[in-house]
Amino acid sequence: MQKVEKQSGIGKYIIVYVCMLVIPAIEVAIAYRHIDAVQMVAQMMALVILSTGLGIMFFMNLAMEKRSMIVFVAIFTLFVLATINYGWTDSFRLVSGAPFSTYH
Amino acid sequence: MSQADFTMGHHVPEMEPSPFAIPAKKLAMWLFIISDIMTFAACMIAYGFLRNFTSNWPRPFHSSTVVSVMVMTFILVTSSLTMVLAVRAAKRDDREWAFRWTLITMGAGVIFVVLHLREWQDMIDKGVRMNANPWGSSLFGALYFTVTGLELLHVVAGVIALLIVGIGYRSGRYSSTDLENCNLFWQFINMVWMFVVPFVYLLNVAN
Repeated sequence: MQKVEKQSGIGKYIIVYVCMLVIPAIEVAIAYRHIDAVQMVAQMMALVILSTGLGIMFFMNLAMEKRSMIVFVAIFTLFVLATINYGWTDSFRLVSGAPFSTYH
Repeated sequence: MSQADFTMGHHVPEMEPSPFAIPAKKLAMWLFIISDIMTFAACMIAYGFLRNFTSNWPRPFHSSTVVSVMVMTFILVTSSLTMVLAVRAAKRDDREWAFRWTLITMGAGVIFVVLHLREWQDMIDKGVRMNANPWGSSLFGALYFTVTGLELLHVVAGVIALLIVGIGYRSGRYSSTDLENCNLFWQFINMVWMFVVPFVYLLNVAN
């Protein structure tokens, strides 16, 4: 028979839910502002990280796991994202040509 | 100790404690999600690179598309909450309510898919194809359909998984851990959409 857990209220989930609805609305407001593209991307990225951070910690219940699990997921994910960046060098090569190339 | 001893059940081997004190299935789901992040990250980085280095990148989205995307966001975020409620019910061993919340989540997923396909149809009607569009760089269509298509594919997969696991959980075939794993996947889909909205839609709003 499965263990039935004692549960806290759903207040924190409602707060996260409201935050995750408000954040895209703020992003829309930013999209219609006449600001520099880099600034716009930076602001949106900050909001997205906040929103997904809340989702991962509370909706995916990572906040309730052991600290070692949180560290494992964080390090593994960052490593995966860092590894992806190997593609940039090749992308730049496609646009600008191979560095120090003698063939034109 | 020989292999035969294990297979014949003469000795019960002492099991190593579960890593991070979570079930093995849940750890496997986390590993799957992290590897799936790689797929999306590759698409988003390719998109970011091409968006930056293409001079005539179109900005075709008007307020009607933004409203539609916000409605889709509302539906997906709401489905995230209903899925959390399904898992909470499952942890109380309330199979009936867990199934109902799972059904509501699935329903939201289906509405999201329909709205997304309608959005695609609208873009196709405007002349956007994988290799062409009426406004600028032909790469726009390829990236738009690839990134949003990958998201759409995940939502469809999520709805199917919810259907199978939801019914299985109700009948007692699956446990609350299985439903929790579905929750992880469903939340992951929502997190990805949170990236797609600003970078694919909002940065390309015509204003």
